[in-house]
Parts: sequence; structure tokens; C-alpha cells
Amino acid sequence: MSSDLERRYRRVLRLLPGWYRQQWEQDMVAAFLDSWLTGDPEVDEAIIEFCKPGWAEVASVAGLAVRLHLGGPGTPRRYAWGHATRRAVLVVVLMHAVLAVDVLVFLVRSRRLIGWLPPSPASLVIAPGGVWVRMFYLVCIAWIAIFVTLALGHYRTARVLAALAIVPGLVALLQAQRTGFLPAPFGPWAFWVLIDLAPVLAMTTFRRDAPPAAPRRWLLALPAGYLVVYGPLLALQATGNSAWLPDFSGLCCILVSLACLAHAPRAWSRQTAATGLWSLTLALLAAVAGAYRIASLTGYLNDPHLITVSLAELLIVLAAVALVAPDAARAQTATPAPPPYSRAMAA
Amino acid sequence: MAAKPMTGQAFFVLTALADGPRHGYGIVGEVADLSQGRVKLKIGSLYGVLERLAAERLIEPDRDEAHDGRLRRYYRLTQDGRRALAEEAELRAATARVVRARLRLTGTQAAG
Repeated sequence: MSSDLERRYRRVLRLLPGWYRQQWEQDMVAAFLDSWLTGDPEVDEAIIEFCKPGWAEVASVAGLAVRLHLGGPGTPRRYAWGHATRRAVLVVVLMHAVLAVDVLVFLVRSRRLIGWLPPSPASLVIAPGGVWVRMFYLVCIAWIAIFVTLALGHYRTARVLAALAIVPGLVALLQAQRTGFLPAPFGPWAFWVLIDLAPVLAMTTFRRDAPPAAPRRWLLALPAGYLVVYGPLLALQATGNSAWLPDFSGLCCILVSLACLAHAPRAWSRQTAATGLWSLTLALLAAVAGAYRIASLTGYLNDPHLITVSLAELLIVLAAVALVAPDAARAQTATPAPPPYSRAMAA
Repeated sequence: MAAKPMTGQAFFVLTALADGPRHGYGIVGEVADLSQGRVKLKIGSLYGVLERLAAERLIEPDRDEAHDGRLRRYYRLTQDGRRALAEEAELRAATARVVRARLRLTGTQAAG
């Protein structure tokens, strides 16, 4: 039976998040009572009845509660954001790798390196030669290498390659800006900041102790991603419906929306930690796609039709992410994988 | 990648567990003794430290024991915890040697 002092202390402990109390409350209460009780029944009876946790004790619990609620190291919020950020980075790098595969396939087709592949449309073939063209192909190969190294867990190599891979893009942008070849600069700069720089910076979350990704699944995602993205696009081109082809920011919005729609039934029916982490990942990706869509709108200021289409894409991504948002919010407070001491006690 | 610096409280808690498992309040008492009364851990602070050390796999539970109708959980150092504590102790000893040497150089040794 709990004593008055214990009840008062448990009331203070309600400041702590539920997942934390589940793990530590009993132990904290035992240690707290140990710190008060003397072993003398008469004295202890008086202590139990009249004493209450001091201000310093309450302050220490409040401080711990603030740290845990804000998402300090080892908390579910920090764990969820770290996990979701790493997944979002993998998805963005996968997108880079898919684009790179497309460029290389295009190169193979235009040079007729594989006889049975149909040649690229002559109007789209990049003229061979030149430092920038060679650099462009090199960067494409680098993104495939970055994706593979990241998926295989060679984080440091991936970080170094990625930091090098975004430099030519920056130099090209600065050069274009300086020489006036950038009539609508927001779109290209948004691409560089959101799709190139941000994932490279976020790669710092891939620490040695980060839970590894499932390499086989991610590596299979590269050919699958190529087919999912370029299958429909090539079909639109082949059937003479090129007008339906979205621009890259629109494509990002459509892909994220489709992923949200595909994930929503699982997020609503299961609501596990795993679905929550994917929901949070999709919310992050939707934020990036939405920001990129808004920034690239400036390129269409003279075309009301394209502005309407772009706004529709934005609305679609907002509606799609709203479907998984509750699950994403829940993921931040869901109980994480049990810490090592739970397994030790169970053994 | 450089390891995160160990806080003073974590250092004392690990030291308190170096010679054997202890329960929560036992750690509080041992830390007070080790620090000659300078570090008086409140329960909230202690469990913040214990939770972080457990998450970093430097400590783990040893056993539960009933005492006056309550369960006391004992904690012990893991191999990683022992190694981290030894490294931190070495670092602090090296720093102390440098401090002493510099104080000797400037002739400002503590009295007594």
C-alpha cells in the first residue's frame, strides 16, 4: 500500500513523460523513500504522514522532465527524428541516384553503346566534350556511389563523396548567376539548398552508433525507383503526352503524395512505432517537396496555367501528408526500442 | 569521431559502481562520500544520469532486491562502462598533472 509521502512524490513524477515513468518510476520512488526513511518506525510514520518532497527534489524532477520532453539524447523524440532524418536523407540520395541512372542510360542510348536500346531523341542529346559535361557525368556516378555507400553503412565515405558532389552544382550556379544565365534563380538555388546541401548536412546524423539501414532493400530500391519514376514518364513521352510531364519539383510533390497515400492505410490501421517513423519520414519529405515547389513557382510568374498546376500539386501534397501527420506526431512520443537494461533483466 | 566528454555527475556515478553493484540511494550516498560532500545528487538528477548511462550501455541492472516492501534495483558497470571510466580517470589524472606542473612553474602551489 502506498504511503502519503510516496503519493506526493508520485504526483511530482507525473511531470515526466509516460514512457519514462514506465521504465523508471518504481525505482525512483524506492530511492526517494530510502533517502527519507530512517528505519525507526515512529519517526518514519511521522515522515510519511507530514513530509513532502523538497523544492530541490521537485526542481531536479522538473529539469529531467524538461530535457525528456524537449527530446534530449536517448529520448523517443530524438530517436524518432534521428531515424526519420536518416531515412529522408536516404530517400533524397536515392532520388539523386535514380536521376543519375537516367542520365547514364540516356548517355548509353545517345552513344549507341548498347545496340538493342533505342537511341535518344536527337534534340535532347548533350554535345560531347567540355569540362562541365564530363563533370556532370562524374557527379552522376558519384551520386550512385554515395547512395550505395550510404545504404551499405560506409557513412564517412558517403559524407566525403557527397560534400564533393555538391560543389560543381554550386560553382555552376554562381557562374550562371554572375553571367546572367539564371533568369529565375529561386528554383535552381532551392534545388541546390534543399536537394543537394540539406541532405549532405543531415548526413551528420549517420553516426557510427546509428541503427543500420536494411542494405538489400535500399539497394533494390534503386532499380525499382528508376522503373517507378521513369516508366510512367517514358510512357507519357512515347504516347505523345509530353505536356503532362511535371517539372522536377512537381514530380517530387507527386511522388511524396503517392508514398503518403500508399502508407496511410498502414499508418491508420497499425499505428506501430515502425509506421510512425515512416510517417515522420514522409512528413519531412513532404516539407522539402513543398518548400521546393513554392520556391520554383517564381519561374512561372508569367504563366497562370503553370502556376495553377503548381498550386494544385502543393495542395495535393498537403492533403496527402495530412493523412499520415497524426501517426507522425504519435511517433515522437511512442515508446522506443527497449533499452539494454530491459533485456538484461529479462535474461 | 571524438567521444562526448563525460559529465562530473556521470563520472562520480560510474566511480560509485566501480567496486560493485549499488541501488539508487546507495549510489547517492557513495557519490556524496567520494566527493567529500560536494556532490549531493537529487533523485531526479540521479535517474537522469542513470538513464543516459544505460542508453550508452555503460551501466546495466544487476538484480532486484526486496527491502521494506519495496524493490531496490541494483546497477553495475558494463565492460564498456569500466573502459570509459578508466579512460576518463586517466584523462583527469593527466589534466591534474599538467595543472600541478603549471602551478609549480608559476609558484602558486596550494598551501598545506
